[in-house]
Amino acid sequence: MKPANDSPTREHGMKTEGKTLSRRGFLQASAAVAATAAGVPALRGYVSTAHAAGAAQQAPITSHYTVCDMCFNRCGMIARVQNGRVVKLDPNPKFLKSRGMICARGNAAVEHLYDPNRLKTPLLRKGARGEGKWQQLTWEQALDHAAEQFTRIAEKYTRCGVMFSPGSDMQSQFLIRFAEVFGSYNVTSHETLCLLSKNRAYLDTFGETPFADVLYSKYIIIAGSNPLEAIITPDTIDLMEARKNGCKIVVLDPRYTKTAALADEWFAIRPGTDMAFFLALTNVITEEQLYDTAYAEKMLFGLQEYAAHVRQYTPEWAAGECGIPAEDIRRIAREIAAAAPAAMIYPGRRSSDYEDSTQIRRSMAIANALLSNWDRPGGILAAREVGVRAPYFDVPWYDDNPADRIDHGMAPGLIHHEGSFKLMRDAIIKGEPYPIRGWFTFKTNFMQTAANRNKTLEMLKHLDFVVNADIVMSDTAWYSDLVLPSPSFLERNDPVSALQGSSACACAVWRDAVVPAMHECRDMLWICTELSKRLGFPESFNFTLDEYRKSQLESIPEAFEAIKADGVYYNPSKVYGIYFDSPLKTQAKKIELFNQRYAHEGLDPMPVYKAPRRKEGAFRLVVGRTAFFTHSNTNNALLIEFMDKNTLWMHPRSAARQSLKDGEMVEVESTVGKVTLALRLFEGMEEETVYMATGFGALSPRLPLVYNRGASIAEVLEDHADFISGNMAMHETLVTVTRRVG
Amino acid sequence: MKKYAMVIDSSVCIDCKACMASCKVQNNVPHGYWRNWIKHTIPDFSQGPLTRTHFQPGGCMQCDNPTCVQACPSGATYKDPQNGIVHVNEALCIGCGNCIKACPYGARFRHPDKRVPDKCDFCFSSGRLERGLLPACVDTCPTKARVFGDLNDPDSDASRLLRDKPTVRVLARGGIDTKPNMYYVAATAPTDWVDEVEFPGAFTALASLVNPVVKVAVGLSALGVAVMWAKQIFSPDKEESEHESSAPGKD
Repeated sequence: MKPANDSPTREHGMKTEGKTLSRRGFLQASAAVAATAAGVPALRGYVSTAHAAGAAQQAPITSHYTVCDMCFNRCGMIARVQNGRVVKLDPNPKFLKSRGMICARGNAAVEHLYDPNRLKTPLLRKGARGEGKWQQLTWEQALDHAAEQFTRIAEKYTRCGVMFSPGSDMQSQFLIRFAEVFGSYNVTSHETLCLLSKNRAYLDTFGETPFADVLYSKYIIIAGSNPLEAIITPDTIDLMEARKNGCKIVVLDPRYTKTAALADEWFAIRPGTDMAFFLALTNVITEEQLYDTAYAEKMLFGLQEYAAHVRQYTPEWAAGECGIPAEDIRRIAREIAAAAPAAMIYPGRRSSDYEDSTQIRRSMAIANALLSNWDRPGGILAAREVGVRAPYFDVPWYDDNPADRIDHGMAPGLIHHEGSFKLMRDAIIKGEPYPIRGWFTFKTNFMQTAANRNKTLEMLKHLDFVVNADIVMSDTAWYSDLVLPSPSFLERNDPVSALQGSSACACAVWRDAVVPAMHECRDMLWICTELSKRLGFPESFNFTLDEYRKSQLESIPEAFEAIKADGVYYNPSKVYGIYFDSPLKTQAKKIELFNQRYAHEGLDPMPVYKAPRRKEGAFRLVVGRTAFFTHSNTNNALLIEFMDKNTLWMHPRSAARQSLKDGEMVEVESTVGKVTLALRLFEGMEEETVYMATGFGALSPRLPLVYNRGASIAEVLEDHADFISGNMAMHETLVTVTRRVG
Repeated sequence: MKKYAMVIDSSVCIDCKACMASCKVQNNVPHGYWRNWIKHTIPDFSQGPLTRTHFQPGGCMQCDNPTCVQACPSGATYKDPQNGIVHVNEALCIGCGNCIKACPYGARFRHPDKRVPDKCDFCFSSGRLERGLLPACVDTCPTKARVFGDLNDPDSDASRLLRDKPTVRVLARGGIDTKPNMYYVAATAPTDWVDEVEFPGAFTALASLVNPVVKVAVGLSALGVAVMWAKQIFSPDKEESEHESSAPGKD
């Protein structure tokens, strides 16, 4: 990789600084430094210039475009480099998706890059798993060992005997390609702990997973989502801008999140009862005929059946389930219907909540359908054309491979290329329908993010070889057999990534290294290339990254110059009315209120409410996160200052019933595990609910800021699954909370 | 001549901490300390569905009547007439800590290694303004709650906002008008966190009378300075321990 000062973006970056300025109308800056001396008392002038001279004498700062990797959003950044070190990361003002911002995590990427606990060399486990005895290997030794293990497993258990978790990185596509050419169908990643239920629900209603046009919306109901803390660009920013323009925001959440704190109305809904609210909402809209009848005629499939189906779900009934008064449900239904079509039920992102999460999200999707907001301003949008193509590669056929992925048929709505980690883990432990003995993970930390950590540990006992490539020694790496050091996003060249920022943009970006890779870190393309040579399919990785990018941008060659000049290429493709003249990708070719495929497969074709389990003396545990941590990426010297451990949130009245006090240590116990952490009494909690933030109580001592600090959600959450999608269901755990003894 | 100021729409602040993180990286602010902050109101849950929290970003207000400057015996803390920024000249600072107490906003802290006060200077000393960049907190802010500009330039974003919108300022308790250059659009809360200005007794009279330039010249020989110096060396760092305990986000 090229050293920073030779970076091709240097010149462009320098120009950008000037443009940042004019965009904000903040000109003339302080060329004034020199002028400062004029017309001031001599002594003061001396002091002032001396001060400024300090900055002027320092080494020059160069600027380089890049794209953030502190979460999945990929916000545009400008890295400032001085003396070969990244000294600051600023937003790329031309980056429309993130509206020219960088959040706390993006700013703290400097600490991520220079983390003293970074992995530096390949490491081979010497003692028992998790014991922490490692032997340094050269890359040659490490790759030889990995190739040998993969070959051994493939020969004995077929190629599907290796599971791959390629992560959500810009280089994940290389590991997916590697897995497919190697011959394993068993690919699963973070998404199966995250958004699959929502995706499934919208695919089965609209034929697509939508983007929320928050900016132009006039009325938004947010349920099962916390976009002001779980930042999604541009939605998070657009919410506040929409509010300025008069958009009303109603939040349903058992917890007073920051989204709730800034909403117009917040209802502390009972956890797991969102569907009751939306069934009643659509009851009002259909009973009172508050929908656009012409639109319904043209676009909706099964409206009559649906209207009949929800007749039973009155606001009065729903109030008894969800705790929101019937008159409020009625009022909100009338208000949002009046604001339609520039109104929406926010689709959200993480929907790994309940065993019927797909159906819960279906009830929200159907409410959107009745607002006739699909493909329209202020509603929910279809995917836009970006023009980045996925380079073709041959997938070989292996005769001895099983017929399908290990979790095939275990959930009726499994999304084939994502699978279900929860179901795969169960299958591996059982050894059925066939054994899996190897695991290759890249920047995925199931040990800390997947419910029921003890089961993940049990799964490891069935695996002969676990290799993990990551930047730091995550809990998953700590329990691996071979650990490979990855460069951070600031140290590598990445392929093109296509992004859509709601109605703001459809864009393409790539990353060029801002500084050279430190230590012995090697990127995933290099690792796959080297392994492919050892495993006998070098022709699948016989390209350079430049050639790969060229192939990705074949249909939009103008993107090359744009990305070099501005850090981003925009495709001025159609935003609204993409489906104006074409049928939807559903079976009915319309929006399916009634899903025929579900009916055919014996599933409820329309959402049927099932009351959540309750147990006397037990609380429902919900999990979530803050705006300054992504999942288990908590070991950051700067960000940890905002929150150095998690606590258990509980309503003071609930605590009083067990005479628990604020700040004391409590034990939180489920059927699968028990954790100890401090109690935080907070009135902004629904009384049957307790809350814990993710990312603490790490097992890896090489994450010293979170090792044994606070408690891990993975330890205490039971591993339920969404029945339809197989997505992990993380809000199905009932826990008891007791004072810590001794 | 410029008059830099910040006009803040605190109603769009989402308390994401980006401004705090950005400032910390840009200015190498040590662990446990911050040059800027986000305060918040205490939600009143008796309001039911209408319960709200107001988040309020802040930092040094670069006051036109800077009590820190008046409290400084050596002239190290001064208001730059060229741009209105209140600077600390570390070479002249004797480390007495008076300026820290004199700031009703708690905008200053004693740097744990350098033993001199540290505070926001709108990113002047980091060189951002000279390079044509906005202060780090302003540049990074997702909702652009923080708006920065020159009030002497009628076309600056800050001037325009100030002209178009009613604004309020957060004032010290106890009657001293610090004339802060941080404006909040429409209204802001909380305001009960602001302290009284605390001047060191022996210096109150002198500080208000003597021209700061003169103070630099005579300051180091003044007996009072020596006393303050000694006091600083032997007394515990009260403000430091307070600062630690008020670190944000206890959970």
